Amino acid sequence: MNPFHFDSLIWHWPIAIYLFLAGISAGAICFAVLLKHFKLGKDAYKSSFVQAACLLAPLAVFAGLGILVLDLTKPFDFWKILVFYNPTSIMSVGVAVLMIYQVALFAWLACLFKEPISNWCDHRWPVVDRVLNVLTRHEPTVTGLLVILALSLGAYTGFLLSALTTYPMLNNPVLPILFLVSGISSGAAGTLLGGLLLKGNPDGKEVHFIHHIEIPLILFELVLIFTFFIGLIISGGQSQVAAFTALGQGFWGWIFWAGIILVGLTLPLAFNLFMTASSKRKLSYVAITASCSLLGVLLLRNFILYTGQMTVA
Amino acid sequence: MENKRRLFLKGACATAVGAVASTKFVAAQPETETIEADVNYALIHDETKCIGCEVCVDACRETNNVPEGVSRLEIVKTGPFGEYPEQYFRFSRKSCQHCDATPCVNVCPTGAAYKDPKTGIVSVDSWKCVGCMYCIAACPYQIRFINPVTKAADKCDFCKETRLKEGKQPACVTACPTKALVFGNLKDPDSEIVKVLKATPNYRSKTELGTRPKLFRIAAKEGEIVL
Repeated sequence: MNPFHFDSLIWHWPIAIYLFLAGISAGAICFAVLLKHFKLGKDAYKSSFVQAACLLAPLAVFAGLGILVLDLTKPFDFWKILVFYNPTSIMSVGVAVLMIYQVALFAWLACLFKEPISNWCDHRWPVVDRVLNVLTRHEPTVTGLLVILALSLGAYTGFLLSALTTYPMLNNPVLPILFLVSGISSGAAGTLLGGLLLKGNPDGKEVHFIHHIEIPLILFELVLIFTFFIGLIISGGQSQVAAFTALGQGFWGWIFWAGIILVGLTLPLAFNLFMTASSKRKLSYVAITASCSLLGVLLLRNFILYTGQMTVA
Repeated sequence: MENKRRLFLKGACATAVGAVASTKFVAAQPETETIEADVNYALIHDETKCIGCEVCVDACRETNNVPEGVSRLEIVKTGPFGEYPEQYFRFSRKSCQHCDATPCVNVCPTGAAYKDPKTGIVSVDSWKCVGCMYCIAACPYQIRFINPVTKAADKCDFCKETRLKEGKQPACVTACPTKALVFGNLKDPDSEIVKVLKATPNYRSKTELGTRPKLFRIAAKEGEIVL
């Protein structure tokens, strides 16, 4: 069996990229919110890391949606998804979440960058000031809504696949949580890497804060992956076949053990623990750790998507 | 700050309650789906009569204008089973099962995949279909495909748009030289299909998934069953 071409394969790698980008967007904005509320306060917008997260969140979600539209067999008919809705379809619910998420995202970004926006407009357009004032008055609501929508978006990418009863490996209740948690950790990695590119301080309090959350996150991810496969194996039947096909020998087995478990999870965990212990952070350490994490999550998305479709119920 | 936090908590709780309530709504779906109509079409494939000649496949392609490279109907050949000269093959029909509980309809984001409430036939509205291929992935029988001409999802519709409209039986049923296919209305107790189903032991594929397929099969010799 060719790892990228087999009979039961319906969704190819563009879907994995989309799942990856949606996860990053959700994760990055969660960290922007956390950094603002627990570390930086009113001056949050001056931090390179917050700026990186705020750039990454909308760009990733736009790119993901772009890929999704191009992957349709009728790309010019994509508007029909926005017009017709089916409440039993996870994809339909997800499209609705994505749309509201983008509105909440821009509302929150407007609150965050209120000062620079006002200064840039120089009070030329009173409408802008009025809108910004209304938004800032409701900032707690906007923030709460944004966080809930971001978490929904992260979990939705998992629900999208777990709704497929055809494939016993994907039709798994752990998948949405696994995708949510790995999405959040990819958001953390994206925020760190982007912040460094925007000349953020690799030993700054933002990096310390994110790293402290990343450690339990990676441990939880390992537990979820363990639960995911043990659950499949003890279910027996085709679920067991699916688990052993995925984890066994061959291309995807290597991707799992070397790419996801070693490079994507174990190395970042070790680096994080080391950096926390030595309490000194160099640019190269932070950048390599974040790159490993990102690569791991991208591989995880591809691995689940491809191996999940290999075994049919 | 205290006030803001309380406001946020209120909103979060309301959303959580809403989310949990919506799962109840989704869980309640399958029950409301059973339709009450006078007609509920089904098909029997009698594997004891099928000789694997594939005349049905050609008839389907011709009647429904199915392009080359894809097909709405396939005959899957397995075997040979047994020792020479007692060898035999087994022929199994691979086409839409017209499930009563339809995974494809449930996942379709635009409602392009739908079950005709009047006949129970599962169909595709090719105009509404955007080609996300979610239904193709969701079908446990793997019988859906993208039509290279319309770019929409396509599959067997019991000739709903062609032969059935003219009051005739589906093309495959009429073409079959050994009468291995029986098509009819499950709701009509006097129909041939109901009589055959009552008189002959039959089985359906992947019933454990709860799709309640309406392609009934009469098993050939139990070649694949090992005790």
